[in-house]
Amino acid sequence: MTREKSRARRVRDERLAAVLRGEEFLVLDGAMGTQLQERGLAAGELPELLCLTHPETVTEVHAAYVAAGADAVTTNTFGANAAKLGDAATVEEVFSAAVACARAAGPRYVAADLGPTGQLLEPMGTLPFEDACELFARQVRAADAAGADLFVIETMADLAEAKAALLAVRENSDLPALVTMTFQEDGRTFLGTTPEAAALTLSSLGADAVGINCSLGPAEVAPLVRRMLPWASCPVMVQANAGLPRVEGEATVYDVGPEEYAAAVAGMLDAGVSIVGGCCGTTPEHTAAERALLAGRTPVARAARDCFAVAGPQRVVALEKGQVGVIGERINPTGKRLMKEALRTGNHDHVIAEAIAQERAGAQILDVNAGLPEIDERAVMCRLVSELLSVTTLPLQIDSSDPAVVEAAVRGYPGKPLINSVNGKAESLAAVVPIAARYGCALVGLTLDEDGIPGTAEGRLAVARKIVAATDAAGIPRHDVAIDCLAMAASTDQAAPGTILSAIRAVKAELPGVRTVLGVSNISFGLPFRPLLNATFLAAALGAGLDLAIINPGARRMMDVVDSWRVLSGEDEQARFYVEHYANRSDAAPVPAAAAEGEGGGAPAPAGLPDDPVERARALVIDGRGGPMMGTMSEVLRGHDALFAVNEVLVPALDEVGRRFEAGSFFLPQLMASAEAAKAGFEAIRASVPAGEASAGKGPVVVCTVRGDIHDIGKNIVRMLLENYGFEVIDLGRDVDPEVVARTVEERRVRLVGLSALMTTTVPAMAETIELLRERAPWCRVVVGGAVLTPEYAQMVGADYYAKDATETARIATEVLG
Amino acid sequence: MAAARRCYDVRSVERAEVLRYLGYAGQPVTPELDARIDEVVARCLDVCRPCGVTRVFDVSGHGEKNGAPVIELAGTALALEGRSIAEHLDGAVAVGVLAVTVGMGVEAELRRLSLTDRLAQVIFDAAGTAAVERAADAAEADVVAAAAARGLHCGTRFSPGYGDLPLATQPVLLGALDAGRLLGITLSPALLMSPTKSVTAVVGLFESPRPGVRSSCAGCPCRDFCVLLRAGSTCRG
Repeated sequence: MTREKSRARRVRDERLAAVLRGEEFLVLDGAMGTQLQERGLAAGELPELLCLTHPETVTEVHAAYVAAGADAVTTNTFGANAAKLGDAATVEEVFSAAVACARAAGPRYVAADLGPTGQLLEPMGTLPFEDACELFARQVRAADAAGADLFVIETMADLAEAKAALLAVRENSDLPALVTMTFQEDGRTFLGTTPEAAALTLSSLGADAVGINCSLGPAEVAPLVRRMLPWASCPVMVQANAGLPRVEGEATVYDVGPEEYAAAVAGMLDAGVSIVGGCCGTTPEHTAAERALLAGRTPVARAARDCFAVAGPQRVVALEKGQVGVIGERINPTGKRLMKEALRTGNHDHVIAEAIAQERAGAQILDVNAGLPEIDERAVMCRLVSELLSVTTLPLQIDSSDPAVVEAAVRGYPGKPLINSVNGKAESLAAVVPIAARYGCALVGLTLDEDGIPGTAEGRLAVARKIVAATDAAGIPRHDVAIDCLAMAASTDQAAPGTILSAIRAVKAELPGVRTVLGVSNISFGLPFRPLLNATFLAAALGAGLDLAIINPGARRMMDVVDSWRVLSGEDEQARFYVEHYANRSDAAPVPAAAAEGEGGGAPAPAGLPDDPVERARALVIDGRGGPMMGTMSEVLRGHDALFAVNEVLVPALDEVGRRFEAGSFFLPQLMASAEAAKAGFEAIRASVPAGEASAGKGPVVVCTVRGDIHDIGKNIVRMLLENYGFEVIDLGRDVDPEVVARTVEERRVRLVGLSALMTTTVPAMAETIELLRERAPWCRVVVGGAVLTPEYAQMVGADYYAKDATETARIATEVLG
Repeated sequence: MAAARRCYDVRSVERAEVLRYLGYAGQPVTPELDARIDEVVARCLDVCRPCGVTRVFDVSGHGEKNGAPVIELAGTALALEGRSIAEHLDGAVAVGVLAVTVGMGVEAELRRLSLTDRLAQVIFDAAGTAAVERAADAAEADVVAAAAARGLHCGTRFSPGYGDLPLATQPVLLGALDAGRLLGITLSPALLMSPTKSVTAVVGLFESPRPGVRSSCAGCPCRDFCVLLRAGSTCRG
C-alpha cells in the first residue's frame, strides 16, 4: 500500500473497500455521450445541461446500465466545470442534478465524473496548474455535497492535469478517486505520456485505481494496460471504446460488439485488471457481457514492482535490485560562475545546455538546484523545472533546503520526482516528509541532525534509522527512500572515506529495502587531480552497495567507473553496452588539449573565409555560420580585448545584418542565423572574461507578447537581438497579464518595456498594459511592435515608440538605456 | 460522439510556401542555411501527426442575431453568424465542418526549440503552419467526397475569425466535432487553439458548382488527398 492509502477514505461499504484493496471486481457503466446522442442530443450542445433540462433522459441511460449489471454509474458531468459551463448553469446546480439523476437509477454506487478542463495547462498552454486545481476543486466540493460515493477522473491526456484533478479530490474530499488516462495508437497520450509513467505517478500520488479509457478499442488497450500493471500499486481499470469509430455514410459506427468486447476484457482480467466498464460506443449490452464474464472469477492477486522508481511525464527510470543509477549534479550554482549568471539574469540557455549534455553523457536523473541568496528561488526553480521538462525526458531531482520551494516544484510536476532532501533534524522531518508523502515523491535523506554529521558509521546509521522511521510512519515505501551517508573530504580526515563506506553497508544491512545515494566529489576536496580520487572512491562506494551516484556525468572517468561496474555487477547483461561503447577505447595518452581544439587553434581558416580573424569573425556573423565562431573568436581575443571584440567585430557585423534585413536583401532565417553566429561569438567572449569582470549587461529590458496572444516569434527575435547587443532581457513570455508586466517593471525599476501583438484582437490588451504602466511606473518607456501594428496604432495605444522590426527595437533600446 | 477521426498522410509541404511564411523574397541564401531549412522541414514532417474530423450538417434555416444574419444547421448547436459567412455560404444547402491538427508533438518540439535553437524554431513554425494547411486540404477533400456522394458541390474553406465570423464560434464548432476527445484540441480563454497548429473551418455544399472553384484538378489544393480522383472520377462529375 502506498503512502496516501494510510490516510482514511470515506468508503461507502465493505464491498467497495474490498474493490479498492483489489480483492473484488467493480463493474462501471458504459458510454453516456453516445447514448445521449441516440436520444437526440445535438452535436456541440453541452450534454451536462440535460441533467437540468431532461433529467428523465439521463436517468434512463443510467438505469439501463444498472439493469445490465453495473455496480456504479458515472454522472453526466464530464465537462461540468466553471470554464466550460460559462453562464449556462453553475457547477453546483449541474452536480446536484447529475448525482440525483444517477441516484434515481438505483445503482449501488454513484461515481462523480471529472473530465479534462478543456484547456491546455502551462507551459504549453495558458492555464496555470493552480487554476486547474481550482476548477476541479469546485467540482469535487459540489459532487461531495451532492452525495456521490466516489470519483472517476477520466480521459486525461496531460499527466499534470490528471494530477491537478487528483489533488483537488484529495484536498477537498475524502472519497476514493479512480483515475484513467487516454492513449493513442502510438501508446502515448496526446501529450506524450506513457502508460508506465501514468501508472507510477498517479498510484504514488494516492489514486485508488489507475487505468485507461476512451480513444481505443479493447484490443488496442490490452497491451497498454499490461504495461501499466507492474507500476500500479493500486487496482487497475479499463474503460475502452467499442472499437475505433469509423464513418459509414452519415453515421459513426463502433464495430466491437458485446461478445468481442468481453472476450478482450477477459484477457485483461487474467493480466490483473479488476475494475471494468466501457467508454464511447459501448452500450448496456456491453455492460451485461462484462458482468457475465465476472461470474465465478476473482481478481488475480498482484503486486507492484518493489523497486526504486521515479518518472517524468514520458519516462520511468527504475532501479531493479543490483542496478545502479546516475544523477547528474551540474544544474547547481555552487561554485559555477556561468550557472550563477544564468539563474540571476533569467537567461537559462546555459542551464538548458547542461541538461542536454548530461542526458547525452548518461545521466538518468537530473538534480536541479536554484539556491542563490539574491534570487526568488521558488520562482526560478519552478521556471527551471518547466523549461527542463521541454528539453529532456529525464525525471528531475528537486534540490532545495527550503521546503516551500520543494513543495512548489513537486506539486505541479507531471511525474514522480525525487526530493533532495530531508535530514534527521526534527524540523526537517516535520516539514519535508509530509511533502514527499502527499505528492508521491521519492526522497533523499541526509545522515545529519541537530548534532551535525556523526563521525562514525554507527552514528550515521542512527540518523538513517530516525529518517526511515519517519518515512515508514508517513506510509512512504522503503524503495522510495534513498539515504545519503555524506561524503567528507579525505584531505581533512583520512578515516572519513572508510566511515562513509561502512555507513553505506550498515544502512543496506540494517534498513532493508532502503536505497543509498551519495554526492561523490566532496571526497577529493583540497587535493590535486580530483577526478582520479573521485573515480576511485566511486568504485569503492559501488562495491559497498551504493545505488545512486550524484556525479558529473560529463566527467569521463566517472562514467567509466559506472559503465565498468555495471559489467562486474552483472547489470550490463553480456557486457553489451560496454562492448559497444568501449571496444575502441584505450589508455593511450589523450591528445593534448591545445591541439584538440582544432579550428582556431592556429589551424588554417575554413575555406572561403578571410585569414584575418577579425575579418573572418565579421564574415561568419554576416553569413550566419556559428560553427567556426568559437575558434575564430579565441583567435581574435589573442590580439584584442573583449571590448574590441564586441564593439568593433560583432556589433558592426550585426549592424550590417540589420541593414540588409531592413533593405530586404536578408530574410528572417538569415537574420536569425547571423544572430546565432554572433551569439556564439558573445559566448566565446564571455567565457574568456575572468569571473567578476563580466558586465551585468545594460538594461534590464522587459519583453513579452500581450495577454490573449500566443504568437511569440517576433518577441523571441527581439529578445535574442537585444541580448546580443548586451542588454539584460527579462522575457515574460506570451499571453502575459498586464499586472505581471507592471509588477516586474516596478520590482526591477525597469526603464524600457517591449510589447508585441500579432493579432488585431489583442491590440486592446496592449493599450491596457500601457495604461497600467503609466499609472504604476511613469518612468518606464514602452516600445511596441508586431505584425498588425503601424505607427498610427502605436500612437493610439499610447506607446512611446513603434519598432517595425527587431533591429529598430535594439536601436531604441540603445537610445533609451545608453 | 458521432464523429470519427481520420489521420492524413502529409508527406510534403511546398518549400516555397514555407519560405513565404519566413518572409523570403528571392534573397541569395547560403548553402548552409538552405540545408538547414530542408533539415528542419523534414524534421517537422516527421513529428507531425496530421489528423482531423469532418461532419456535414444540412442548413435548416436562416435567422438573425443582433442585426447580423445567422445560418442555422440541423442536428447541431452550431450556428454561423455574420455577414461574411452568410455571403460565403449564400445558397448552400449543407455545410461541411472540419477541424484538423498536426498534433501536440509539433507543439512540444516548438517549445523545445524555443529553448535550444531559435532559428530552427522559426523554420519549424513555418513548416508546421504549411503542414496544418495541408491537413486542412485533406479534410476538405473528405468534405468534397461526402458532397459528391450527395450530388453536391463544395465552395472554399472559411474559418472562425475571418471576416465577422466570430472566434466565439470555436467552442461549439469543436464540441460538434468532439475535437477535444478525438484530436486533443483545447481552447484558451481567449479562444485560441492548442496545439497552435490546428485549423477549424466550414465549407458550403451547393447544388451547382461554384464559379471558379475546383474548375480543374491541376490547381486544386485537395488534389493529393482526393478520394474521387483515386476512384477515377472528379467532383465535377
